[in-house]
Amino acid sequence: MIQSSLGVGIAFLFLLTMLSLLWWMLHVPPIIPQVVARAHREVEALKSILIPTQGMAYSERGVEVACRLGTEQDATLIFLYVIEVPRTLPLNAEMEEEDKEAKEAISHAEELAALHKMKSVSFVVRSRSAGEEIIKVAREQNADVIIMGIRQHVGLKENILGRTSDIVLRKSPCEVIIDKLPGEET
Amino acid sequence: MNDNTDIVTPSQPTHELRRDISVWGSYMWGYADVGADIYAALGLVIAAAQGAASLAFAAAGIVYIMIGFAYTELASAYPIAGGGQYFALRGLGDFWGFVTGTALLLDYTIDIALFSVASAGYVNFFLPYFGIDPTHFILTLGSLKINYLWLTESLIFIFFLIWLNIIGIKESSLFNEVIGAFDIFIESSVIVFGFLFAWKPEFLVQQWQMSFPTLHNFMYGSSLGIISFVGLESISQAAQETKRPATIIPRTSVTLIFTVFIFATAFSSLSLGVLPWQTFAEHIGDPIATLAHAIPYIGLIAGPVTALLGATILLISANSGVMSASRLTYSMSEFDLITRWFNKVNPKYKTPVRTIVVFSGIGIIEMLLSFMTPQAMDTLGNMYAFGATLGYLIVFIALIRLRFSDPYTPRPYKMPLNIKMRYKDRTIDFPVLAIFGFLGVGTILFEVILTHKIGRIAGPIWVLLGLLYFIYFRKKNNMPVTKSIKRNWEAHQMDVLTSAEEFDLAEEYRLALKERDEKLKRNGQTKPEK
Repeated sequence: MIQSSLGVGIAFLFLLTMLSLLWWMLHVPPIIPQVVARAHREVEALKSILIPTQGMAYSERGVEVACRLGTEQDATLIFLYVIEVPRTLPLNAEMEEEDKEAKEAISHAEELAALHKMKSVSFVVRSRSAGEEIIKVAREQNADVIIMGIRQHVGLKENILGRTSDIVLRKSPCEVIIDKLPGEET
Repeated sequence: MNDNTDIVTPSQPTHELRRDISVWGSYMWGYADVGADIYAALGLVIAAAQGAASLAFAAAGIVYIMIGFAYTELASAYPIAGGGQYFALRGLGDFWGFVTGTALLLDYTIDIALFSVASAGYVNFFLPYFGIDPTHFILTLGSLKINYLWLTESLIFIFFLIWLNIIGIKESSLFNEVIGAFDIFIESSVIVFGFLFAWKPEFLVQQWQMSFPTLHNFMYGSSLGIISFVGLESISQAAQETKRPATIIPRTSVTLIFTVFIFATAFSSLSLGVLPWQTFAEHIGDPIATLAHAIPYIGLIAGPVTALLGATILLISANSGVMSASRLTYSMSEFDLITRWFNKVNPKYKTPVRTIVVFSGIGIIEMLLSFMTPQAMDTLGNMYAFGATLGYLIVFIALIRLRFSDPYTPRPYKMPLNIKMRYKDRTIDFPVLAIFGFLGVGTILFEVILTHKIGRIAGPIWVLLGLLYFIYFRKKNNMPVTKSIKRNWEAHQMDVLTSAEEFDLAEEYRLALKERDEKLKRNGQTKPEK
C-alpha cells in the first residue's frame, strides 16, 4: 500500500537522479589521438595574428578570416600597412596619397575587428620592402601567425604569390596562411 | 643530497603499474570505501542527531562535497598514485607530503582492520543456518575473551584480499565492480520500496519538531556524518592504474559525490519517516537491517539480504583499504619520503607486492588489537576521524597553493566559484570554495579533537612516530628534512599525461609552458625552477 504521494515522488526522483548520474558517468568521450590533439591545441594557441593589409578587397577578406580564426581564443589582431617607398625617394618623403590610403585601409580593418569585438593594434610603416617589413614586425610583435590575402587575378606568366608574399613565405618566423580567392579561367 | 644538488626527474620504476581500471572500476573503488562508511555510520548519526539526522548528514555532506570537488580537481590534474599525499607534496613540499601521507595511511590500514572484522561479523549471521553457533568459539586468556572463529574469518578475509591485490589490479577491481553493483542495487531497492510503501512524511516532521537535538549533539552527529563520507580518496589512489584518468576521474568523482550524498540523505530521511530515532539508537550496529525489517514486501527477506549486503560492502571497503594503502606508500617511496625498497612493481602481476604485504600486515596487527580489547575498536575509529580530517585539511591548502605555483598544469575540472586575480603577470583563478572547504574541515577537525578523547592523543602520536622515521630516513640518506628535494616536475607531469594517453592535455600543458618560456625570454628573465 502506497503511504504518501510525496514518497512516490521522492522514490521516482531518486531513481531518475541515480540513473542519470550513472548514464552520464559511463558515457566517456572518445580518446583524442596525439596528432589530432597537437593540431587542435596548436591552432588554439594562436593568440597573436598579424594581418598585412593593402586596403584591397582581398586584404579585407584576409582580415575577416583572421577575425574568425582568432575569435574563439580571443586573439589580438595586429594590422600592418606598409607604404613601400621607392629607393629614389627618402623614407620620410611627402606621400600624401599613400598615407591617406593607409589610414583608410587600417580604418576598414579596425571596423571589421570591432564587428567581431576583438582587440587590435595597428601600424602604418614606411619601408623599402613590404615583405621584409612584415617579417620585422612579426618578430617584434611575437606574432603566432601571419594571415595574408593575395591577388585574385594573376596573369599566365606572372608569379602567383608576388614579391611580398614570396619573401614572407620564405623568411617568416611564424606560421603563414595565404588567402586567395579562385581566379577567373583564362 | 642537499639544496644545491641537481634537479632530478622523479624516477620511473623498471616495471610500471598496469592501467586496467575502467570507468565503472574507478567509480567502484570510491564507492567501495564510502558506501561501507554510510552503512556503518547511519545508526551512530541518528543516535546523536536524533530528529535532525538528515540535517546532520546534509551539513556534513556539504563539507564532503567541497572535499570531493577538491579531490576531483587535483586527481584529474595529477593522475598519479598517492592521492592527498602527492597533492601535498606538489603544493607544499616533501614534509607536508609526508604528514598527509602518514595521516591517510592511518585511515587505510584502519579500513583493512575495521571493515574485515565487521564483514566477518555479518558472515556470522548465516552460520546458525549451518548449525554453527559463533558465540561458542570463545578463547579465554585471563580476563581476555577472544572469539577465535570471528578472528580467523577476519584473517582469512585479509589474506584473501592480499592475494587478490597481488595477482592484479584488474582482478581486485573486478571484485569491487561486481559486488558494488549488487550493493547499489540492494540499497536502491530499500530506498525505493521504503519511500513507496513505508515512509510517512508527517512522522518525519513530528520527529524533527519533537526530537530536535541540542547543539552539542547535533555537532557530534555532523562530525560522525563527515566520517561516514570518508573514502573518495581511493579514486585518486587508483589514478595511476586508471585508463585515461584525467577524463574518467572527474566523471567518477562527481558521480560518487552526488550518489553518496543522495544515499546518505535518503537513508536518514527514510529512517526517520519510518521508525522512531530511538529504535536506531538501540540498533546502532545494524541500522539498514532495522530499517528494511519495517518495510512491507522486503521486510521478510530483510535479515539475510541486509546481512549479505553488510558482509559484501564492508569486504570491498577493506579491499579498497588494501589497494589504497599500497599505492599511497608506493608513491611515498617513489618520492623518497620512505625507503625506496617499497617502490617495486612485480614484473609478472604489475602490482606493488611489497607495499601490499607490509601495510596490509599493519592492518592485521590493528585487527588483532581490536580483538584483544573492546576499546581498540573505538580507538581505531577515533584515529580514523583524525587521520581523514588532517589529510583533507592539508589537501585544501595544497590546492590553493597549486593554483598559484602551478597554473600551467591543465585542470580538466576546476572547483566551482573562482575569483580571477593577477599574480606574477598571469591571471589566476582563486578558489573561494576551497577556503570554505578548509574552514569546514578545520571545524570538523576541531570537533574531532574536542569530542574524541582517544583520537586527539593517538592520532597525533601516529603522525609523530611517522615523522621520527621520516627524520631518520632523510638524515641517513643525506636528504633535506624540512626542505624538499628539487625535482623536474614539468618533465614528470608530461610523462604522466603522455603515459595516460591524455594527449590533448599533454599538448595543452606543452603550449602553456612554451608560452611562459617565451614571455620570460621577452622580459629577459630566466626560467623558474621546475
